[in-house]
Amino acid sequence: MPIYAPSLPPRPEPGQGLPPALVIFRFDLRRVLRLKLGRFFGFVFLAILLILVAQLYVNHLMASKAALADIRKATEAFLPQGARFQAGLLNPFMITILWLQVALVGGGLVARDTLYRIRPLLYAHPVTPLDYLGAKALFAAGLPLAVMLPFILLPWGLSLAIAGLHGPVWPTAPLYLLPAAIAISALMGAVTLGASSLASSPKAGFGWALGILLGSSALGGVASGAFSDARWMALGLGTLSKAWPRLILGLQTEQGWIPVLLGTGFHLALWLTIAVRRTRPSEATI
Amino acid sequence: MISLQRASLRYGDILGLSPTSFDLGPGGGITGLLGPNGAGKSSLIQLLCGLLPPSGGEVRVFGEAPYRNPLVLARLGLVPEGDRFPGGMRGDRWLRMMGQLSGLQGRALDLALQRALAITGMESRAGQPFTSMSKGMRQRVRLAQALLHEPRLLILDEPFNGLDPEARLQLMDLLRMLAEGGVRIIVSSHILGEVAQLTDRILLLFRGRLLAEGSVPEIRELLDRHPVELRVTAESAAAVARWAVEQDELVALRMEDGGAVLAVRNPRTFLPRLQEAVVEGRLPLAGLDPLDLNLDAVFQFLTKDNQ
Repeated sequence: MPIYAPSLPPRPEPGQGLPPALVIFRFDLRRVLRLKLGRFFGFVFLAILLILVAQLYVNHLMASKAALADIRKATEAFLPQGARFQAGLLNPFMITILWLQVALVGGGLVARDTLYRIRPLLYAHPVTPLDYLGAKALFAAGLPLAVMLPFILLPWGLSLAIAGLHGPVWPTAPLYLLPAAIAISALMGAVTLGASSLASSPKAGFGWALGILLGSSALGGVASGAFSDARWMALGLGTLSKAWPRLILGLQTEQGWIPVLLGTGFHLALWLTIAVRRTRPSEATI
Repeated sequence: MISLQRASLRYGDILGLSPTSFDLGPGGGITGLLGPNGAGKSSLIQLLCGLLPPSGGEVRVFGEAPYRNPLVLARLGLVPEGDRFPGGMRGDRWLRMMGQLSGLQGRALDLALQRALAITGMESRAGQPFTSMSKGMRQRVRLAQALLHEPRLLILDEPFNGLDPEARLQLMDLLRMLAEGGVRIIVSSHILGEVAQLTDRILLLFRGRLLAEGSVPEIRELLDRHPVELRVTAESAAAVARWAVEQDELVALRMEDGGAVLAVRNPRTFLPRLQEAVVEGRLPLAGLDPLDLNLDAVFQFLTKDNQ
């Protein structure tokens, strides 16, 4: 009995269609966008962003209205406009919340496929391990970057719009803050990908990611205490993500460039290696 | 279409599949991979699907080595064992992603989706979340996934596990239809009855070894040499024993309270005679229990023959 009608299109040839990494990335993105979790974090980040923008507007108001000169002097103490203010656009509180979100969402990226045995099925298609890991890495690092972008670009655009080149946000601020955001996103992506690869369920992936975040900070604290050297704090992921905007903007940090670069390189290499090893086809047995 | 030349697979120190050789020609048809758990069925499937490279020997599918070979992977469909899907996910969304991974998009993807869902009878139900589907429906979605890109080779790992009899028969009909349409199908199972109903050719695996290969009658003949133990309970154990010793198939007899345990060869000829004796009143039968009709026992027997 023939099962294919002659009018149907021919079967796809190898290499046709969308790149597999993009297909997997889009699938993960759509799945996360349908989650209520996304709405919760969206609300939290929006609230932080609104506070930041309001702060910016008040700052501008104080600077531009002569009648408010006295108040301006009083507020300059907590509304500075120098490099510290620029670095504060990627403020530590927002970064901490972002770590939580990335751990929650990213912790399940690979672990969910492990739990439901999706990977053997994917690898039985023309999908390479690089496609798979690339899609997951793109998502794991792209999510935090996408969240951080409005925190850089919106205040920058607003500052330019209301005060031109002399606004509270430097016209060149994105040139400093975007590389910092990329470094932080790469760290978050690598850690959550590694954590998720080690876990057998999304919940365990979240636990692993949080454990790595807190554990690395604890390790950095112990090492810096043991050697009486604050540079060892660069082992901690929290320290690294806070240090990047400050370093790039030329602010003093206890760690300095080399420890931060080494710490970042160490975490990227470690967690990406784990992710590569744990998502090989030989690990995806049926 | 498939050729294995002393292909073996090791997981570290553990041998998953001993050097195995067989050939399956082109064209449609259903081949059963039969063996108890741990026999090497999944190892063989992983070699055929290109998930793992052979540790030794050679595997050829469509004339090519399948390991990470998109030319092979684009022409085969895999329905893995298991019934786990991410909760809340809808069947059609999952299928769409799988179709895209096979290189389909746009109208071609829509048509392929419609066709695969029509073949599997899931047109109106694929939009449901997996959590609200029955096991049979989820199995059909899994099969639809493997059919989207019109594979010429379809591999199903234990597809009947957990299905009710009706869903099992429907799936068998579906597989027969696909085989008639020119698709080569390989079905793994540890239940002889399932495979025998479905396939024209069986590969018998046990402890990582290919023990036998042939048509269903040939394999049946092989299996008939294995004595099967039957517990016959009756009002009079002596009457059972008297009747049993007259039968050519009897290999051993053990008396028990209220009956006897018979070891018989060729149960397919023995059982109709037993039925006849009961109907004619020559045997006061109260109960009949097969003690070792499971596949493990048969394989133990075959292994002994092969040593």
